[in-house]
Parts: sequence; structure tokens; C-alpha cells
Amino acid sequence: MTAEAGPRKKILVVDDEPDVCLYLSRLFQENGYAAACAGDGLEAMPAVERDKPDLITLDLSMPNKSGVRFYREIKSRPDLKDIPVVFVTGVTGPGGSSADTERFYSTRSQVPPPDGFIAKPIDPAEVLGVVGKLLRRSP
Amino acid sequence: MAEPRWPEPGAGTLDVRALTGGRLLDDVPCYISIQDRHFRILEANRKLVEDFGEHLSERCYAVFKGRVEPCPECPVARTFQDGQEHTSGETIFDRSGLPHAVIVKTSPLRDPSGEIVAVMELFADITVQKELEHRLHDSLTRFHNLFDVVPCYVSVHDRDFRIVEANQRFKESFSRRLGGFCYEIYKHRKEPCPACPVADAFADGHSHSDEQVVFDNAGRQLHVVVYTAPVRDARGQITDVMQVAADITEMRTLQDQLASLGRLVGGIAHSIKNVLEGLRGGVYVANLGFRDQNQADIQTGWEMIQRNVDRLSAMILDMLYCAKQRSPRRLPVSLPEVTRAVVQLFAARSADAGVQLAAEIADNLPDLLAEPRDIHSLISNLVGNALDACYTDQDEQKSSRVLVRVSRQDEQAVIEVADNGTGMDEETRGKLFTMFFSTKGASGTGLGLVVARKVVTEHGGTISVDSTPGQGSTFTVKLPLGGPA
Repeated sequence: MTAEAGPRKKILVVDDEPDVCLYLSRLFQENGYAAACAGDGLEAMPAVERDKPDLITLDLSMPNKSGVRFYREIKSRPDLKDIPVVFVTGVTGPGGSSADTERFYSTRSQVPPPDGFIAKPIDPAEVLGVVGKLLRRSP
Repeated sequence: MAEPRWPEPGAGTLDVRALTGGRLLDDVPCYISIQDRHFRILEANRKLVEDFGEHLSERCYAVFKGRVEPCPECPVARTFQDGQEHTSGETIFDRSGLPHAVIVKTSPLRDPSGEIVAVMELFADITVQKELEHRLHDSLTRFHNLFDVVPCYVSVHDRDFRIVEANQRFKESFSRRLGGFCYEIYKHRKEPCPACPVADAFADGHSHSDEQVVFDNAGRQLHVVVYTAPVRDARGQITDVMQVAADITEMRTLQDQLASLGRLVGGIAHSIKNVLEGLRGGVYVANLGFRDQNQADIQTGWEMIQRNVDRLSAMILDMLYCAKQRSPRRLPVSLPEVTRAVVQLFAARSADAGVQLAAEIADNLPDLLAEPRDIHSLISNLVGNALDACYTDQDEQKSSRVLVRVSRQDEQAVIEVADNGTGMDEETRGKLFTMFFSTKGASGTGLGLVVARKVVTEHGGTISVDSTPGQGSTFTVKLPLGGPA
């Protein structure tokens, strides 16, 4: 399955869990995208500036809240703010804490809402659906 | 009646009526009798005759008490003796044998020469009052018994918050001495509490309730539910406030345990989900490799699976460790040796992260009596955390360092692990030792410090933390050199 003709769209996966990074990037590669990984917000910023990805998936519940900080920075920079960002929210189901997401919402007034959500555990079809839709829409 | 009741005046006998004011006596609403020196009744008023019968010339002790000889303590005799009035409490029996509680007052009757010729005895019937007194006493006793046996702390507070009355239970747990200030006694405060249900009850005359934490006389913390109610005098004025406090400490503890059990289950689910994610990823990647005969994918996938299986087993071991009650062995452990081994273990990792890791070890440390594995895992945990705190620090200017200091303080070994990393805010510090609480996202299990604390507790020691956000943290562990008590 290939996304579209032309150059492959680039996706940056930001997650502190290396295996999730691997999983998502391999899933994207397998479905016709180019994918790269970053372990946290600090690592992600130079990668965004260098590679100008077409989409970013971001795990918010990373140490130091670097995910939130990274998102703010992206959305406040005119040259980067149009890159769609999909939140990969840690846990939303029973037994988990969505504290990070809630904390994010509480400060949301300063930043635009994310372009999409993916809940863990990851459902490949859902991930590809959300990402595919966003990438078809973007120029 | 054939014989005249009264000897005629002037007949050489005593004219009693002249001495006492005649028929006036009959109208007095109490018993009055007049006795001579031999306790013979010379005169009785109408009420006495009605209730006790006609007994002129009979001995008062026979008439009133059914006795055959004078009473041992007789106010009539005493008045004859000293010419003074006397008062005593007696029980006398009327014609139908019913007892009357009376207060007796005697006074001398003198002839014109001043000689005491008779004694007037006045009986005030206080049977009803006595009865009331008994009942009052009974109900007071019952009230006091209730007060004491009720399974709550009962205390009565005056307007100045002094405890003026308290039940046995209160006295046993808080203070035997009455009159102290409630806020001093069980709140360990120097001044009244800002929100006070006793003050509220004084202010509005209604009942109030509150949940409070108080300290008993052994310094233990108790959770109590407190009810207060105003105590009013006969005019309806609030004089005191009564407080009833029920100890709900155990219930609170159970509630906390249930809540932490809930968090525990949630934490387990969360951690397992993370591992599961890694496993799914591994399976996905490995499957791609099998499909495409791609050795690299197969290898990556299997590595992912391997990693997460390892994580899961480590997690389960930690969880089992936390769940198990056990007492550690008491083997000689050289703290300097273990510390050096841990520093060695982390040397490569700290160097990679640009963190300077050092140890300061006192040379006067005798061997510790402890479980060697536990001490190793304790120090590794603390050092690992300290390195993480440096690694995640955003401050580029800082030169990160972790210092492990091992020393002796009296009969305790002191292990301090200090870093100048991110530090913690109040909230994080509060949750530190909570299971599955982690600031490290997916890379932490939220069990490290729980295990550390368990090790410390099992060895009879203490663990504390001092931390300033942005400046770093210091964990201090104190272990008794002789091992757990």
C-alpha cells in the first residue's frame, strides 16, 4: 500500500519509549511514508528544523513535560505552525491517568488544539486513518 | 375524748399553749410537737395528729420511730442540755407505717424564770424532695455512666475553650486534667483553631460537625468526626458546648488502603499497557520481516519482544517484592564495598550523560547487618534516580554531578545521594513513594523508590528527601548498624 504518488511524506515520531517509536515509524514506512524518531522534545526540535516533516506524532506524557513545551514552540513559530501534530495520548481507558492531557487542556488557551488524537494502545488502522486524512488535506 | 387534752392553766402544771401562741400551731403546714424532759409528747399540732395519731404523753421515740428507748442522737435532748436550737435530718414513720424524710428543728421553751421546761420540735417533711434528690442522683449516676461508657470522646468546653468536663475515654486518651485548653490538649496549638465547631455552636446555638486530625497524649495522630452542641442553663443561655468525637482513624486507614489499592491496580494496568505496546510493536516488525524474508526486521522485532518481556519480568519481580512481607537476613555487609560497586556499575552511563559521579566514604564504618542484595538494590535505585534527575535537567549551564556519601552517625550508617539535577516540586515529593508514580514517562516503572523504602523499613531505618526545583535533590537513608531491631 502506498500513500500517494510523488515524494514520500515525512513523519516525525516523538516518543520517549524507543519501542513505540520503532513500532510507529516502521508502521509508517511500511505504508508508504518516510519516518524518523525523536526520544523527547529536545531531540525533536532540531529534527523538525532540519527535515521539515509533513506531520508529527507526539507523546505528551514524556518526562519534563518536554512534549508540551515542544508543541507550544512548534505552534508559536510561523514557519512550523502549519505542520499537523497528532497527539499520541498515553492512556485514556480505565486504569490510566490522563493527567498530562488534562493539564495540557487547562493551558490550551495559549495554543491551538492538536490536529488529531491517537489513543494507546495503538490500533494500526486507526493511526493510518488519522495520519492519512491529515496528509491528504495538507498541501 | 373523756379526759381533757390539756391540763387547765393554773393547775400547777405547764401551760404550753401560753408558751407557744395557742392554736396558731395548728395552722402551720408542718408537724410540730412539744416534748418534756422525758421525751413525752405534751402537745402536737393538728397536722401531726392527723398523720401520726393522738399520742399525748407517749414518748416521741416510740411514736415517731417505733423505738423502745431514746434515740442516740437526739436534738430534743441536746436542746434541753444546751438551750440552743438544733437541726437534724430524720426518718419518722406515720400511723400507716410510711416513712417520712424530715428535717427536724428543735428550740427551747422557757418558763418566766428562764428555765427550759419543754422543747418544741418542728418537722419539715422533705420526703418529696428526698425522692427527687434520689432520682436526680440516680440519673446523674446513669448519665455519668453513659458518659463514660459511650465509645466516643465526650468533652464539655467553656467559652474560653477550656475543657470543664470530659468522659473517661477522653481523659485516658488526651488529658486527665480538666481546665486545659482544647486546642492545646489535642491540637498542639498555642491559640484557638481558625475553624472551630465549638466556637460555631457558641455563636449560633446550633450543632456543628467537622472532621479533624487530633493528637492523643502519646502523640499519635487520630482522625475524628466531631459533633458539637450547645449546653444551655435554665434561662436558655448557652453556658458550654459539648463535643462528641468519634475515632475514624481505622476507617480512614482502610479507605486510604483501598484508594491506594485502586491506584495500584491502575498503575499495574498502565505499566502493562506500555509493555504490551512494545510487544505489539515487536510482533508487528517481526511479522514484516517474516513476510518479506527481511532478516533485519526479524531481528529488530525480536529484540523489541525480548526487551519488553524483560521489562515485564523485572516489573513483576519488583511488584512481588513490594507485595511480600519478609524479614531480611542479617549478614555482614560492607557499605563502602557495595557503594563502590554501584558507582562502578553506573560509571559508563554517567560518563555518557556527562554527569560526574563520585563517592565519599568514611573510613570508620563497621559492617552493616543486612541483606546484601537489598542494600545493593537500594543504593542502585537512588543513584539511578539521581543520574536521571541530571540527565533530564534542561539547564545547559550546569555541570551535572551526583555524590554518594556514606558515613557513620552514632549507631547508624548514613547514606546520602545528592544530585544537582532537576529537583522536585512539593507535589512530586509528596507522591515519591507511591507505587507506579513516575516522572520518567515510559522509562520508569514507578516502583524504584517503593522498593527502596521497603528495603529501608525492613532494615529498621529511615529514608528522607530534601529537594529544591531546579537545584537538585538529596536522599538520606539511615540504617541501624546492628541491623533491624
